[in-house]
Amino acid sequence: MANKKNGQLRDIWRRLKRNRLAMVGLVILILIVLVAIFADVIAPYPYDLQNYSDVKQWPSSKYIFGTDNFGRDIFSRVIYGTRVSLQIGFISLSVGALVGSIFGAIAGYFGGWVDTVIMRFTDILMSIPKIVLAIAIASTLGPGLVNAMIAVAISSIPNFARVVRASTLTVKDQEYIEAAIAIGAGNSRVIFRHIFPNILAPIIVQATLGVGVSIILAASLSFLGLGVEPPTPEWGAMLSAARTYIRDEWYMVLFPGLAIMITVLALNLLGDGLRDALDPKLKN
Amino acid sequence: MHKLLEVKNLKKYFETKNGLLHAVDGVNFYINEGETLGVVGESGCGKSTLGRVVIRLLDATDGRIIFNGQDITNLKDKRAMRKEMQIIFQDPFSSLNPRMSVSQIIEEPLRIHQLCNSDTEMKSRVSELMDTVGLASRLADSYPHELDGGRRQRIGIARALALNPKFIVCDEPVSALDVSIQAQILNLMMDLQEELNFTYMFITHDLSVVKHISDEIMVMYLGVMVEKCNADELFEHTLHPYSKALLSVIPEPTIRKTKERTLLQGEITSPINPKPGCRFAARCVYAKELCSQVTPELEEIMPEHYVACHYVKEINGL
Amino acid sequence: MNDKDKPLLSVRNLTIHYITDNGVVKAVNDISFDLAKGETMGLVGETGAGKTTTALGIMNLIPNPPGKIINGEILVDGKNILEFNKYQTRKYRGNVASMIFQDPMTALNPILTVGEQIAEVSRYHNKLSKAESYVKAAEMLELVGIPSERINEYPHQFSGGMKQRVVIAIALACNPQLLLADEPTTALDVTIQAQVLALMGDLIKKYGTSMVLITHDLGVVTEICDRVAIMYAGQIVETGDLEAVYEHTKHPYTKGLFGSLPRISDKTSRLNPIDGLMPDPTNLPNGCPFHPRCPDKMPECESRVPANTEIEPGHFVRCLLYE
Repeated sequence: MANKKNGQLRDIWRRLKRNRLAMVGLVILILIVLVAIFADVIAPYPYDLQNYSDVKQWPSSKYIFGTDNFGRDIFSRVIYGTRVSLQIGFISLSVGALVGSIFGAIAGYFGGWVDTVIMRFTDILMSIPKIVLAIAIASTLGPGLVNAMIAVAISSIPNFARVVRASTLTVKDQEYIEAAIAIGAGNSRVIFRHIFPNILAPIIVQATLGVGVSIILAASLSFLGLGVEPPTPEWGAMLSAARTYIRDEWYMVLFPGLAIMITVLALNLLGDGLRDALDPKLKN
Repeated sequence: MHKLLEVKNLKKYFETKNGLLHAVDGVNFYINEGETLGVVGESGCGKSTLGRVVIRLLDATDGRIIFNGQDITNLKDKRAMRKEMQIIFQDPFSSLNPRMSVSQIIEEPLRIHQLCNSDTEMKSRVSELMDTVGLASRLADSYPHELDGGRRQRIGIARALALNPKFIVCDEPVSALDVSIQAQILNLMMDLQEELNFTYMFITHDLSVVKHISDEIMVMYLGVMVEKCNADELFEHTLHPYSKALLSVIPEPTIRKTKERTLLQGEITSPINPKPGCRFAARCVYAKELCSQVTPELEEIMPEHYVACHYVKEINGL
Repeated sequence: MNDKDKPLLSVRNLTIHYITDNGVVKAVNDISFDLAKGETMGLVGETGAGKTTTALGIMNLIPNPPGKIINGEILVDGKNILEFNKYQTRKYRGNVASMIFQDPMTALNPILTVGEQIAEVSRYHNKLSKAESYVKAAEMLELVGIPSERINEYPHQFSGGMKQRVVIAIALACNPQLLLADEPTTALDVTIQAQVLALMGDLIKKYGTSMVLITHDLGVVTEICDRVAIMYAGQIVETGDLEAVYEHTKHPYTKGLFGSLPRISDKTSRLNPIDGLMPDPTNLPNGCPFHPRCPDKMPECESRVPANTEIEPGHFVRCLLYE
């Protein structure tokens, strides 16, 4: 059985491999994850080491990305920042995806007033710009890594609820769902065993694209002082701290900014590729 | 003869934007244990809806469904009933979960009803079922998309058999298959009936298939039953004008045509908010004033031969 | 040979393959047939037999890639349409040959009125003015039994049978000599199918159109066709007039098809289906493609492809039993 399952995965992988840009995204993403894992090995200095004799150094062989206004090595901080940003992106998104998917599946499967209540609530959430919503939540909960993640997670719920509801509606009308009911499957079995595996593709795509959005959102919160607190090396927080020096020491914003851009770009490239690879319409 | 299923004045209406759609409108019939009732009609006549209402996949608007002596019309806990009543679907492509392997699909009903105590028992039951429907055991780990229509339909049959049901609704089970495969599946279903004493409700638009497999046949038109009798009787003494027309236009694979064609004018009218009167009146060549005013009742015109038509006796010279 | 006997369509050794990632799909393998002027031939076969590919080939509509015409020629009025340039091909489609597709629901453009869709064809091919083309469209609608008042309605306002009538009107708008109908009534109910078949029969008789009717239904063939060709695994295994094929059936596959059909006039309790399944078109058996399922198989069948043999005038069989 494992073989055949792999067969399906192999088909997806084969289609994905054909998409050059997606492969570029995947390779970059793997590198970024490796960097996060081996940050201790790669970074030449601790992220919070303040060296007052080397303040605001331009990039050189000693400090390849230069140093900030406290004399901390920006390269090391960007490397460690990978950990923080990925952590926020993935954890908050997973929570948002889980909660949003369950709400979406319930709304789509049961329909009626349940659907109306859930979807109107997500409509309200969606009508508020993400960043404003996240700011509101983060400022209520107070700054900090966990609270930032909660804010990001909540603001990603509506997207998942919508995607999953729409997919559930299409799958619900398939005869195999009727067949499952006919052999006596209860509602939760129908949803989790028969509907979910068939709507995984759009969830995965939404998640891949969503991680990028979450990283940007978390960075924005930190930039506004509502996210992680110093000296934690979060990319958004680094941008925020460096913005005073953007005129003269612009390298201070360049590298964290580039890190965000490259990560989000890689995720988007991979997400687009996955969407094409998983799309059953392109099958065969 | 034991009446396994009896349906009394069954109605199913759907709310639509344009009004109430009378999909099934007051149908009465019974099926004896071990027999096959064929339900024939064109698209939109309510035959599939009827099949789904009977096994409670849809709730009836009115009427009663009595299965094995028990009124199941409003039964709340359907688990026990599901074991007894099963369905085989038309489309072997959409009726199987594409993310489940053949063995997983057949195991599913066994798992839901906890019919097996161990994995070994489950395995042997699945391979027994696959053997019964003629699926090679090497296909157990295949996925539906890797198989052809005939094999897929066999999986659907195995899934329905897994619970040892008494009664199976067959909703156009061979319509999507090629003729040579269709014959294989029809033979399989008839063999299974003989062996396991199943009772079938066989829904189809194909009159030659229905004649082949049925003991009794009912002809439906726009939600109502217009004629019901023994299968051979229907083809020998076709009484209702709609059945006559339907029979006359089946393209038979022979160059020796014997029958006279009756080309029906117009198309099926809408089942939404139907007016009183005979539903077939608008297309019927024999229609008179009465037909569009009073709904004809089902009457026993010949022994065990029921027809709903005001002028059936005159038309047939009885 | 006088002009009347010269075939309108002559397919010679046509071989069409699809080159895909999973192998070469041998859809049509060395088929030959003639179609006289005003004649109707049924092309019968099961899913994957290559019927639709044959029709697309005759329309020169094989998608390339992945499709490729490996060999053969398609002569229409003596000219090989496979050698036509772009301009000639465009003129050929619609003016000379026209196709009716199976699904009337998707063959019509939902955002154009049916009148516009019919008028468009004659505007394009016959260079009619807008007003003239609408007069023609109204005529065509009446011809297929739709009141011309409905000319400004959209496809969704028509039922399935009516849509198929519109599709037929479009196909006949330029008065083509050759009509390819791909399962035109499969999606319709029997009473509607009978109406549409009767209509098509009347129209092709009236205009002297030649038609290839693709179907899986041996019953439909008898309603409207003069001749029939049975396809299996990309080959025409038996062809002849209706009487030859239906009454003096020769090929084991054709016999199997007839044995699979439940019949109203018979009282057989069991059907005699053909054992096994259609072969995978990427991996056809050697020799005769039907040999793994054939009840009359001989050792030679596994190695030699049978030739098309004329066993009585006009009745061809591709089987070693009759060579």
